[in-house]
Amino acid sequence: MPISEQGYRHWPGTLVERRRPWAPITRLGVKLAFKRKYFKFVLGLSLLPALIFSVGVYISEKIEDFKFMIRGRSQFLTVDPAYFKAYFTSDFLLFMMVMIMVLAGAGLIADDLKHNSLQLYFARPLRKRDYLLGKMGVLSFFLLLQTLLPGLLFFLLKLIFSGSLKFFAQYPGIPLAVVVDSLVLTVFFGLYTLFISSLGRNRRFVSIMLFLVYIFSDIFFGVFFGIFRRPVFCLLSIKANLQQVGSALFGVSGPYDVPWIYSALILAALAGAAAFVLLRKIRGVEVIR
Amino acid sequence: MNIELKDIHFSYGPVKALDGVDLSIGEGACGLLGPNGAGKSTLLRILLGFLRPGRGEGRILGRDILHDQFAIRRLVGYMPEDDCLIPGLDAVTFTAYFGELSGMPRQEAMKRAHDVLFYVGLGEARYRLIETYSAGMKQRIKLAQALVHDPKLLFLDEPTSNLDPQGRREVLELIKDISSKKDIQVLISSHILSDIEFTCSNVVILNKGRVAAQGEIQALKQVDYSLYEMKIKGETETFIRSLRQGGCRVEETEEGLLKVYMPPGLQRDGLFRIAARENIQIRHFVRSQTSLEDLFAKTVGVD
Repeated sequence: MPISEQGYRHWPGTLVERRRPWAPITRLGVKLAFKRKYFKFVLGLSLLPALIFSVGVYISEKIEDFKFMIRGRSQFLTVDPAYFKAYFTSDFLLFMMVMIMVLAGAGLIADDLKHNSLQLYFARPLRKRDYLLGKMGVLSFFLLLQTLLPGLLFFLLKLIFSGSLKFFAQYPGIPLAVVVDSLVLTVFFGLYTLFISSLGRNRRFVSIMLFLVYIFSDIFFGVFFGIFRRPVFCLLSIKANLQQVGSALFGVSGPYDVPWIYSALILAALAGAAAFVLLRKIRGVEVIR
Repeated sequence: MNIELKDIHFSYGPVKALDGVDLSIGEGACGLLGPNGAGKSTLLRILLGFLRPGRGEGRILGRDILHDQFAIRRLVGYMPEDDCLIPGLDAVTFTAYFGELSGMPRQEAMKRAHDVLFYVGLGEARYRLIETYSAGMKQRIKLAQALVHDPKLLFLDEPTSNLDPQGRREVLELIKDISSKKDIQVLISSHILSDIEFTCSNVVILNKGRVAAQGEIQALKQVDYSLYEMKIKGETETFIRSLRQGGCRVEETEEGLLKVYMPPGLQRDGLFRIAARENIQIRHFVRSQTSLEDLFAKTVGVD
């Protein structure tokens, strides 16, 4: 008998209570991101700095062999906290993180709103926080791939290429700084993306907003700084605040003469506000219309 | 009882959506009827645990609606009225995904998704992206995701909306099959009364946040009132007025047919006496087989 004529059959199994109910949401989100046009290319491009910095770590240990290339600029190849800070606060890395968020994160909530799928999620044994954690997991996967993984890799490569633990003894705080800065970047950008994604039902609108807010915050800083010549306006810029906090975590002075704690407070306030609005927004649509 | 609600109250701010709803729904398929604003959606929201009633208590399949929402959601399948999809997913991944979210192991969910998709008639199209589906196929995929975890109770919200007659018939057959042979209880909220009549043995009619009627459709149609259809010659308006004064509810169809709902106290001869008094000739008189529409109109007081 063909299966189509067998009719409905009961499922003999038992439903289980998952310890990580958000995991299927993250898995599907990651899978769908890879299906997006240009995503693999952009992800590859975003990992380019990691490759270059890894090569830099190698060269730093073989500096004598590469003297002909370096021509007296060996200070750029000194692997120390400033080297890590240079990676974590580079304009290119931060920009590529925004690109990844646009491609992988813009539709995370917007698509669910547009296609009414929230009610399907919440008709399941899922809490609001499970849903948001699942979506956050998608962003975390890609953002940590750009930050935590390369950061720890540089450290490991340095230890491997140097063949001793001297580097670790000299800078024991670097792994922790890598972890904390990766988490700061991931949590901030994750909440930022989910917040903007929850504001609209159109992925394109969300993508544009993700870009505009990031870029314009920096442009405003540039304009005000140009007029008033006061570095305190760096607090207007998302990028500058992330750079200030990143520099502080690696124990290096920030690019702007403003206490880093202000930047940290601004980022925390923005992330907190985003989380607050997200929880309210998701509650608002958690209904059958 | 599968669903038992006692004195459920719910308000949206100052607006009372449910005002002391008492319900007992047993085995089989049950229709949920009511005009717009009657409280059907609010009731479904409360049953699914999306909303917390202001007062009252209830149990679904023995689970407390206030404290065991997760257990209830595991036992319940829900097919929403709106088109719901996740762009970029084929039907089998979509169905398996929601099975997994319901608590099925991943591989089991995938196997089960195939079975359920064949059951709802999407077997051949199961690897197609859902956004390329027709309206009828989208209804079926919603039914598939509601069935994938083998629920004990199925909530269907307007399951035949946007369907052509053929698709509607097929979906109704599926629902009837599920409710009659597969020991899954079904609660159908629908505006299409014939759908309810076709698939359900019981009905709950809500009006203005209260239960206006509930029970077996057949029993409700017989017990509450008698309906007669008649064609007359004479002064129709005067006759209708006299009937209404006598406690009848009268509707006049476009074909000139009068549908007279007799109150329990009034006998059939009473109609003839009124007709004689008003010099009305009765040319056609038949006791009507009351439909769910009649019951609905009588209960809710709308045409």
